[in-house]
Amino acid sequence: MRELLEYLARQLVDHPDEVEVEEFEEDDGTLVLELAVAEDDYGKVIGRGGRTANALRLVVKAAAVKDNRRVLVDIVD
Amino acid sequence: MTPARSEAAERVEELLTRILDAVGVDAEVEISEDAEAVTAVIEGEDLGLLIGRHGQTIDAIQHLAYRAAFRGADGRKRVTVDAAGYRERRAALLQHDADEAVEEALRIGAPVALDAMNAVERRVVHEYLRDRDGIETYSEGVEPDRHLVVAPAKQ
Repeated sequence: MRELLEYLARQLVDHPDEVEVEEFEEDDGTLVLELAVAEDDYGKVIGRGGRTANALRLVVKAAAVKDNRRVLVDIVD
Repeated sequence: MTPARSEAAERVEELLTRILDAVGVDAEVEISEDAEAVTAVIEGEDLGLLIGRHGQTIDAIQHLAYRAAFRGADGRKRVTVDAAGYRERRAALLQHDADEAVEEALRIGAPVALDAMNAVERRVVHEYLRDRDGIETYSEGVEPDRHLVVAPAKQ
């Protein structure tokens, strides 16, 4: 999941080298992925009205189904 | 001779292959391209997960494919991603609703609003009704509630 989110984010930004995903697990087993990108790339991973951020969440969620996992994608700055 | 594919088409194919792999569906991607659009068709078994509720996952994939295809490049084209004939089935449904709205607008002589749709679907319906006599269509409202309105044409 982490690799997928990293890969997708790198395709969208001007500074792929600065894409970072932190991964941790909450007590209830939810996988949390925190995405950080270069300062001027946030607009590219969030998109107009949050559309790109939502698209990233939906695709990562679809990938989590096979592992039967709940996953949250946070975009942090 | 096969024409060389654009970088955009290559990027779409790579992105989709990665997503299919991560979601874990056994499917193939076929890419075609013309002057206006890059079109990707996904065929395989059990693609429901890839399509999602009301097509929201396939629309998300299409959006990411579009954003990834033209990162920083000129010469934008449309990017369409379809899975298991979903868009055709969806278009048939949208056209059915549009026909009903036209009938209703002409009958009552007043505008009729369709359900909210994304930009891709609004264009499908708008094109479908473009040459229809006696009515006009326009979009109204703010995303994600933006929708088409079918109205009797002004004389």
